[in-house]
Amino acid sequence: MKDIKDIKVDLVELAKFKERNFKERLEFIDWWVNYIKTHSDKEWSKQQKEIIDSQLSDK
Amino acid sequence: MDYDASKGEIILEKELNKLDLFVLDFVANLNKYVIVSGYVSILFGRARSSEDIDLLVPKLSEKEFLDLWNILSNKGFWCINTSKSSEAFEMLSEHAIRFCKNEPVPNMEFKIIKNELDEFAYEHKIKVSLNDKTLYISPLELQIAFKLYLGSDKDIEDARHIYKTFNEKINKEELELFVDKLDVRSKLNLLT
Repeated sequence: MKDIKDIKVDLVELAKFKERNFKERLEFIDWWVNYIKTHSDKEWSKQQKEIIDSQLSDK
Repeated sequence: MDYDASKGEIILEKELNKLDLFVLDFVANLNKYVIVSGYVSILFGRARSSEDIDLLVPKLSEKEFLDLWNILSNKGFWCINTSKSSEAFEMLSEHAIRFCKNEPVPNMEFKIIKNELDEFAYEHKIKVSLNDKTLYISPLELQIAFKLYLGSDKDIEDARHIYKTFNEKINKEELELFVDKLDVRSKLNLLT
């Protein structure tokens, strides 16, 4: 296994990844908003509820 | 979801999640408040959760605060910052205090209105009819511009979510005024 000090990090490549990742997240926002607009409130909110409830305690 | 911008009212019939239920449970004890920041985008469908909800209230006298403290305590809410109401009241003049129920997350970040942007949010709040309950939230234009100002990836995504969801109803002139006040014109392109 490589020692941490021997690991090479390409910061230029990472910066590109970060930028691409953010762009993709913005594209997902657009896709999800379109889903919200083309489905009933009950439908999209049922999916949202799954995301949120899974992250919060039942107590 | 139906937004009547002229009335300042949004009607929403949704499956309530745990965050929605927590907010409704808390605000049922308040007469004067406005919800700002991340929960506004979550309320309208953003696919994320949050640890806290930001809530602004007009300045309270010590008696008003103690009355509210007692009501909240009787309903099972407790303050994360302190168990003493007098200490909580003192803290409130300096910074937000947090209330939760059972577990520390989610919690309500309870803040006094301190500046003119807070005042605008309160005075121009939007009424949200959520199923058979009511919530009051910040004007969307201010919310979008302020999220651009905060500027993290999550904030930009929140701003874009609100902008795209209500695009046709957003008052673009008002949005641009807030954008200029907050000096975030260079970020406007991230909304579209």
